Amino acid sequence: MTTTWHVHDDLLADYVAGRLDAIVGASVEQHVARCAECRASTTPLVDPLLLARGWDAVRDTVQSPAFPLPVRLARRCGLPEPTAVLLAAASSLRTAWVVGSFLALTFAALAVVLAGGQLLAPFLLVAPLVPVIGVAAAYGHHQDPLETLVVTAPYGRTRLILLRTLAVLASVLPFTVLLGLFLPGPAWLAAAWLGPAVALVPTLLALSSFVGPRVGVAVVALGWSAVVLFSLRGLPATWPVEATQQLVYLVLAAVSLVVLAARSSRDRRMGAVL
Amino acid sequence: MNAVELTAVTKTYGRTRALDAVDLSFDRGVTGLLGPNGAGKTTLLRIVATSIAADRGGVRLLGRDPHGSHAELTGIRRELGYLPQELGYPGDMTAFGFVEYVAVLKEWNDRARRLREVRRVLELVGLGDLATKRVSKLSGGQRRRVALAQALLGDPRILVLDEPTTGLDPTQRADLRRTLSALGGHCAVLLSTHQTEDVAALCERVVVLAGGTVRFDGTVTDLVATAAGRVWLCDDPGPDALVSWRTGTGRHHVVGGTPPPGATATEPTLEDAYLLMLGADAVRAPA
Repeated sequence: MTTTWHVHDDLLADYVAGRLDAIVGASVEQHVARCAECRASTTPLVDPLLLARGWDAVRDTVQSPAFPLPVRLARRCGLPEPTAVLLAAASSLRTAWVVGSFLALTFAALAVVLAGGQLLAPFLLVAPLVPVIGVAAAYGHHQDPLETLVVTAPYGRTRLILLRTLAVLASVLPFTVLLGLFLPGPAWLAAAWLGPAVALVPTLLALSSFVGPRVGVAVVALGWSAVVLFSLRGLPATWPVEATQQLVYLVLAAVSLVVLAARSSRDRRMGAVL
Repeated sequence: MNAVELTAVTKTYGRTRALDAVDLSFDRGVTGLLGPNGAGKTTLLRIVATSIAADRGGVRLLGRDPHGSHAELTGIRRELGYLPQELGYPGDMTAFGFVEYVAVLKEWNDRARRLREVRRVLELVGLGDLATKRVSKLSGGQRRRVALAQALLGDPRILVLDEPTTGLDPTQRADLRRTLSALGGHCAVLLSTHQTEDVAALCERVVVLAGGTVRFDGTVTDLVATAAGRVWLCDDPGPDALVSWRTGTGRHHVVGGTPPPGATATEPTLEDAYLLMLGADAVRAPA
């Protein structure tokens, strides 16, 4: 359909300024949408800054990558936007990783429930290791090509690693605590595994500052597995998390924190301890 | 005050002395670092990029001491762009996502300003249209340009580029030269390369490193001038030439040594001068 009638200049100006009532406004809009000539005469009337801002907003939405689900949820809880960008890049905060962790924990808890409280080892083995492995996966090796860049950024590598560590703990711990509540056995058991979990993470960080996260996580995982397997040789099922052992974990955590602090004050200049 | 001042900087790895009492200073403009593999180029660049600390000697960047307080170091890093020799990209990041990630690490906290800046640097390296493509799907040259884009974030006052031209085709190289020479007007650009033609086309100043020491420091024309009268074209390879090769015309390009009979002197290139400067080192470990 060809149109011979065009919107009058004054009317168009009123339309752009938003001064028209709903009915006239809608009919002008209908016409402008179909008439190239009127669209062309609308353009100079629109504030170019406004247009540029509009286009920027469109580009921002299209180009800036969407956050993975766990990070989106954290955003809802008030996580600042720049922090979310950093966390979205850590593989252990991707949806797949978080779901994987939850599945591993659920199966471990199921195994314990099905065994009727006779066997706690699966849960005790998995629960403290899930955050440890998550933390190790969240930060690249010192020699990683990307990390050479991270080291020289003003944000700082140590800060980034601590941030990722906190994020991993925040994503996994609540779910594990919840699972622990369903475990058969004494009520304190629900929280008892937190002792080794909280101790193993600083141990991993301290070890990693010497040998890198890959070797570090292997040492920690083997060590903890050895403790749990040892308890299977006739000791009570709760042995790995009883009071005396908890004390050992506490000492281990304290020593690791001291090592970390000493390492970072000595070598902090280049911000590359962790 | 120079943007970068190094005095007697020494760095050793185990028993290898990567840098041996190097004195250098740089200011605005593009400076090229040439040298054979293992000459200490990357070590020098990493020290200037505050990625590693020098063992001994003084380093001052933008008038500040990177070995000083944490605040001083961060102050330097805010005005520094660094392109490492190798750069990894996390899994499935897009070009835009990667540069945005680095932008956050560089403290671009305001989202609207950050995204505008990311778009600006991607346009600058000619990747505006490929911004939403995954880095793993990009070609080597395009990936190198993504890496360069992050170094340009925030218009740094010191720009450290470790082999920026690797993997770029001739057109992309020309584009890069244009971008860098524009930047050189207000920023100290320090780049290392194996390509003498990049240095000839781009750098006002050239520094030749070998065995951890500075062998030459001056303008490109001065370096070329050191080879005047020592390069010939002739029918036979020179008997005691440093290097010679048969060119497309059938004649031999002879660098160094005594001119063979029938040799005609020819205009030396930067590469000839570089080879002569390094002498036997260059032939043993060709750049």
